[in-house]
Parts: sequence; structure tokens; C-alpha cells
Amino acid sequence: MSRSITHYLTKHLPENNQWERIWILAKTDFKLRYYETTLGLIWAFLHPIIRMVIYWVVFSYILNQNIPNYGMYIFSGLIVWTYFQEATRKGLMILRNKRYLYENIRMNPYDGFTSSVLSTVINLAFNVLVFVALSPVFDIAFSFQVLWIFPILLNLVVLVYAISLILAVLNSFLKDISQVWDVFLLGMFWINPIFYAKTLIFESFPALMYINPIAGIIVNLRDALMYAQAPDMSLFWFDWAYAFALLGIGMWVFNSFFHKAMEKL
Amino acid sequence: MDNNETVIRLKNVSKTFVIRDKKVAPFFTQLGWLVTGKNKRRIEALKSIDLEVKKGEFLGIVGENGSGKSTLIHLMTGFYKPEKGGTTEINGNFIRLSLGLGFNQELTARENIYLNGTVMGLSLREINAKFDEMIAFAELENFVDTKIKFYSRGMKARLSFAVAIHANAEILLMDEFFGGVGDERFKVKSDKVFKESMIKGRTIIHVSHNLSTIRHYATRVILMHKGELVGMGTPDEVFQIYKDKIRVDKLNLRDYVDDQDTI
Repeated sequence: MSRSITHYLTKHLPENNQWERIWILAKTDFKLRYYETTLGLIWAFLHPIIRMVIYWVVFSYILNQNIPNYGMYIFSGLIVWTYFQEATRKGLMILRNKRYLYENIRMNPYDGFTSSVLSTVINLAFNVLVFVALSPVFDIAFSFQVLWIFPILLNLVVLVYAISLILAVLNSFLKDISQVWDVFLLGMFWINPIFYAKTLIFESFPALMYINPIAGIIVNLRDALMYAQAPDMSLFWFDWAYAFALLGIGMWVFNSFFHKAMEKL
Repeated sequence: MDNNETVIRLKNVSKTFVIRDKKVAPFFTQLGWLVTGKNKRRIEALKSIDLEVKKGEFLGIVGENGSGKSTLIHLMTGFYKPEKGGTTEINGNFIRLSLGLGFNQELTARENIYLNGTVMGLSLREINAKFDEMIAFAELENFVDTKIKFYSRGMKARLSFAVAIHANAEILLMDEFFGGVGDERFKVKSDKVFKESMIKGRTIIHVSHNLSTIRHYATRVILMHKGELVGMGTPDEVFQIYKDKIRVDKLNLRDYVDDQDTI
């Protein structure tokens, strides 16, 4: 499939080495993940389903949540969470993995990040596709409100991009950052309404809804994807502002310390 | 074409690296070092270098291991920033070529050609057009869809050379890249291509221990020693300084060196 996309791009778009390079790098990253496996790309579909079923079984036994359509409820939360987790872990390593590019050619340093984030977006798209494919089985009907998922997921991607800029630079000065980030993610999993109802946070710890931008993104994505509703607009704009603020900080960190960081690697 | 155009300019460029040594010590002692910096060492990799490279030049850089040759290349490309008071400038598209260049072992030759081709500034259309030519040159027709981890060293070297010929850049910085690729027959062929299409019309910076390549092609050579630029001139002049001053200083190998082109 990716080969036919590439073929289409070369045939119909004007030649642009920068974007072609970003695309080929992203495609390679994505491909290498499933390359050695016999089932190949099928894993990209199997993974989210298996993950959903495990959480569904476990949490419906230990938690009595009374949430209708609980499996898909968890799935929609996991789409956001697993993307955030995998993409930021990968973001942490970008300067290390892409050193050979920065060292050898004249390239906009942001291109390494764009290609890496793009490769994780391919995965995100697979997860959303699986959700859409499963939704008739669980009686989920879409309305045009489902289009909200695009700005909401884009919000998530911008957030990941910003965090990757900061983490990748920190990681070259202090390798412990990857351990710290893992612990951070472990804690963060539990403060997000992935497997429990959003009212649990909204009522008890409303501040958490705003400190942690992922919670708002999960709630809004779920409204659009499962309940055919428009998002909570104040949360929606707040999370976009959050992502842009972080992106500003990330770009400042990156522009100031990129060369120093490369010397440390 | 204006041949007096300067493409690379270094002014008063110095570079010092601060490294931390890893010694065995109790945890709290190590934590203390973080504050006191007691395990730090300063390595002066380059000391106030001034250098200009003109368009179309073939500049050879020679010197012993650790003399600052590779650091100099990194400063030319802007990958490293010089210390205060120094400036660097490079005008034009460049590519730094080193052995084993960006190849991914898990990918096939085809995939690596597309990956490295775009990295070297070729558009996908250009790669499509030149693909067969590259494979034919590297003589890998039967291994196009073989992962390169199954390749021999020679096959990999041939492939990277075949891709690099087409690099879309006016400036090539070769860090131990060329010299002794493949068997004798391939060497003859690659020498020919090196001379007739790779270096033609380009500005070349060539770091190598293989002095015969430099002797044949370099229009100017510089000699690096302990981070300083200690000699500049034609290949013969600089090789003489190299042999007289540095090698003899240290190793007294004059007789040996006179017989050898490779140091």
C-alpha cells in the first residue's frame, strides 16, 4: 500500500525533496516495526483489538463501572493513550536515531521530528480504522459530528510533537530522562478517564482535567466517536492552547540547545 | 563559472570538548562530581583555525588519528558550532560521506537506495530514473531485494559508492569514504567514475589516510596536528612536512614511510 502511495505522490505532485524525504523516512520507520514478522501489517490491526479485549475483561471484573458498551469505551480511550505513550517514547530517541542525518546533510532539523511523528500517525490511523470497523458490531452509529475527531487528534499530534522536542533534547544531556518519563507515563495512565467514567475526575479532581491535557482529548474524542456529540468547546480550546504553549516552549528549547545536544550524543 | 567564489570559510575557529570520565566510585561520590566537575576534562580538538575553500577545489586533509580532522569537517558543515570569536560559513548544498553511510541493515538494497537517495537530495523521480544504473554499477542485479545484512562488506561498499555518485550536492565532504572499494577490477572502474563524474564540477573536502588518492586528485592539502593547522600546500610539500616533522618526531619511521603511500 505504501508503495502505491509513494507512486501516486511521485506521479502527481511537484518534485519536492524535503517532503519526499520526510515521507520516505516515516514510511521506513513504520515498516521496520512489522518487517521481520510473518503476519506483518496484520499486527497493526490485531494489536489494538487484543489490547482492548484484555483491558475490557480485566476491568469489567475488578471495577463495576456500569458503562454501556464498555469495550468500545475503553478502546476509544486507548486510541489516545497508546498513541501518546508510544509516540513520546519514540520522540525521546529522535536525536539519537536520526543523528546520521543531521551529521551528513543540510536539512531542517525539524524534519527529523516531522518524519518520526508522521510514522506514529500512521499507527494512530490504523487504530482509528479498527475502531470504525468494529463499531457496527457494537451498535455505534456515526453522525457528521464524527468529523471532530480530526481537529482533536491533530491537537494530540501537536502535543506529542512539542513534548518530543523537549524530551529529545533533555535525553541527550541526561539519559535518565527515559526512565523518568516511563515512571511519569505509568502514573499518568491512572489519572486519565480511559477505563472509568469521566465524572470520576470531573467531580472529584476537576483541576486534573486541565493540568493533564490528555484527559480532555480522551473525553472529546469519545464524544465525537461514540456518542455522536460535539466536543466540550471550553476543553477543546483549552487543549489547543495547551499544545501551542508547549510547542512554543519546545521550539525555544530545541533552537537553543540543538547543537549542544548533538555534541553530547 | 566564477572559480574564485569561496564556498567554505572558517575564521578563528576553536573547539574544546568537555568530557566526563567514567570511573568506578561510590554513588554519592559520583553525585558530588556532578556538582564539582572533578571528573571533567577539557579536550582541545581545534585551535584557532583559519581556512577558506574555493569553488571547485579538491582539498585533502591529512593528519594522524585524533588530530582534529573529523571535528574540522563537522565545523565546516555547521553540525558543530565554533567557540566564541570564531565563525563558519558554508555556501551550497553539501553531503558528508562516510563509510557505511545511513544504510539500514534490515532493509533491502532497493529500499536503501530510495532511503539514501532522498537523503542525498534526489527526488523520487530521479531515483526511479537512475535506479537501474546504480544497481548495474554496483553489480548487484541478483541481490536487489536482498536485505543488506546478508551482503558482504565489499557489496555494501559498492552500493554506497553507486548511490553517492549521484548525490545532489555541490560540496562533498568525504570522511574516509573513498579508497579501496571492492576488488581490483571494481577499483579501476570506480576510480574512473570518481574522476570523471563524482568530483567533476564539485568542491571536494577529502579526509583520508590513503595518501595516493590525495596525491592524484588534491589541488591543495592541509596537515592537522594536535588540533592545529601546521601545513598547507601542494600534496608533495605537505607530505614532506608530514614525514619530516610529525612521523619522525614520534616514531622514527622515515624509511618505512618513504616506501609507502598509505600511512
